[in-house]
Amino acid sequence: MINISNISKSYNGQEVLKVEDLNIPKGQNFGLVGNNGAGKTTLFSLLLDLIKPTTGEITNGDIVVNQSEEWKPYTSAFIDESFLIGYLTPEEYFYFIGDLRGVDQSEVNDLLANFEDFFHDEILNQKKYLRDLSKGNQKKVGIVAALIGNPEVIILDEPFANLDPTTQIRLKKILNELTQQNQTTVLISSHDLMHVTDVCKRIVVLEKGEVVKDIKTTPATLKELEAYFSQ
Amino acid sequence: MIKRFVSLQWKQFRRSSYFEAALAIKILMVLGILYFGGIAILAGIGGYFILQKAIPEVDPLMSLNQYLIYWFLFDLGLRYFIQQMPVINIKPLLIIPIKRKKVVQFLLGKTMTSFFNILPLLFFIPFSITLIVKGYHPLYVTAWFFGVLSLIFLNNFTVYLINKTNIYFFLIVGLVLVFIGLQRYEIFDITAYAQVFFYGMYSNPVWILLPLLLMGLAFYANYQYYIKHFYIDGAITKKTEKVKALDLKFVDKFGNIAPFLKNDIKLILRNARPKQVLLTSFFFLFYGLFFYTFEIYRDNPAILAFASMFITGGFLLTFGQLVPSWDSEYYKLMMSQNIPYREYLKSKLVLMVFAVTVSTILSLPYLYFGWDIYKLILAGASFNIGLNSFITLYGGALNRVPVELNVKAKAFQNTNGFNLTQLLISIPKILGPIVIFFIPYYFISFDAGIITLALSGLLGLIFQNQFLNLIENIYQKQKYKTIAAFDEKK
Repeated sequence: MINISNISKSYNGQEVLKVEDLNIPKGQNFGLVGNNGAGKTTLFSLLLDLIKPTTGEITNGDIVVNQSEEWKPYTSAFIDESFLIGYLTPEEYFYFIGDLRGVDQSEVNDLLANFEDFFHDEILNQKKYLRDLSKGNQKKVGIVAALIGNPEVIILDEPFANLDPTTQIRLKKILNELTQQNQTTVLISSHDLMHVTDVCKRIVVLEKGEVVKDIKTTPATLKELEAYFSQ
Repeated sequence: MIKRFVSLQWKQFRRSSYFEAALAIKILMVLGILYFGGIAILAGIGGYFILQKAIPEVDPLMSLNQYLIYWFLFDLGLRYFIQQMPVINIKPLLIIPIKRKKVVQFLLGKTMTSFFNILPLLFFIPFSITLIVKGYHPLYVTAWFFGVLSLIFLNNFTVYLINKTNIYFFLIVGLVLVFIGLQRYEIFDITAYAQVFFYGMYSNPVWILLPLLLMGLAFYANYQYYIKHFYIDGAITKKTEKVKALDLKFVDKFGNIAPFLKNDIKLILRNARPKQVLLTSFFFLFYGLFFYTFEIYRDNPAILAFASMFITGGFLLTFGQLVPSWDSEYYKLMMSQNIPYREYLKSKLVLMVFAVTVSTILSLPYLYFGWDIYKLILAGASFNIGLNSFITLYGGALNRVPVELNVKAKAFQNTNGFNLTQLLISIPKILGPIVIFFIPYYFISFDAGIITLALSGLLGLIFQNQFLNLIENIYQKQKYKTIAAFDEKK
């Protein structure tokens, strides 16, 4: 589904990312781990064509992301708070995203009904603007908004950060269900090794902008990752 | 302790993004400050002589004192509009052993160094010196000066007490308008009464106790208020607001652009900065009073053409120059969604056209100045809708300054929408209507000028698609630059 070839990104001559070849097949639950500054967010930003690659190209579906915008209808993402519109209520925000993705209000409502547990009565009907929600609740809104319109590719940067334990467990369930039919490709990044190994079928470790490990998840993976990061 | 605060504040100032702005902007800002400061000083030195010449039979100090009441109210109104309580990051201060009193005192003390307090000083100090040189009693002049000084600070503190709601602002504006009206028609002259007090501060310095006392009270009220609210959910940090439910179903009629239009309406109604723009554009309506009443302008049709464009163009110019900056806080979302630039732009265009239409209706009272003037306003509105809208959007696309939606713009602290590109792009905005009107006016007739100006708007409607393509192209070409610029920490 996603094909990264020879991609690199430099700022002022300093290379922050260099990935020669990375292929993510359709329906895979893909995890990206790495310490701060390893290039996770840079890679996601390149995938979403928010920054310009210094060399190489990324294809999503069959579309080169920085040459056409045709990948947008089937791709969605939540990277950080700049994906939220602060002066809207959560409902208004969901409907707006629905409008953009051609999903009407009643369909959005149907989708939201599935996430009642996940929202834990703190999101809907709160009469609050998004800018006034807590970080964790903002994140919940962003993640669920990224699921509107049945996207084929979902990109979530650090989805577990700032969430309470109950919500983390619920999120893992949601992410697992998403890829069950092998239709949706999910890309997440995380600092929490346990969560990633629970959720992802494949884990790639980035260090200083380069791929240093590419692991198919097995029961031994967590140990392996822990060993790697405690070096 | 105070020294520490000062050093913290200095770092905050020195390291903030507007200080690190481009050199050109810095120069422009410094020039701006020098310009206003210079004017104030010159007016302070020359004020005495100007007043003497203008009203030779009255003591210049008397004349000044007569009108000080208007300066006082105007100053309060202006502060209301721009001056904000400096937000200090109190969270780290709450848990370390510093007395709350100290922090609040510092905070209030800091407000006294605001540009609004310094500017009048630049006028009143040289003016007072001139008075002494001219033989007024030095002691009495000093007393008068301190009286004025307390009035300046009275305004400074009062504005923080009343700027929590907009009612007072309209009250002040209303009061000024009523006073001017009553005076104009010689029903009641407030200045005669105000003069007793203001001149009293000179002739009988006991009077200065009144502003001093009031200033003390205002300071104390502020002090009490902020001591009481010195918690992280209190007054100094931002507070959460109640959601204002909006029924925007009628917008659905606009079809494809409806989702954007709904968002834009919420953007304007729910954020401090756009609300300020709305208020500013309202004041644009009054530009005509200035241009149509002075004879030098009235006899110069080129200037009139420019003024007529301004009257209906307030919102268009102030809002339009910050498209797409208004969406800077969530621009990454917009760019990763499937957003047709055209619909996005059209939604803003609809808002601008709507604003011009409303302003045209609101400017009906200008019929008082004659049918010719109103025809000019109508032609100006047509130019605004058809051409100016696209020019402004074009300039906005090149603008790329992030806007903090829910923070009011501050005088000389906010470079938003004020840079070289903006300056260049404003040339066709200003000269456009003048040139389009003046050439046919000069060679044919007044009506020919009006017709040409009105027809120029039609041009925009005909070439709408071409114009939109042009702007869309900039959006596309500059996408990465814009994202990076909007991403910069404010």
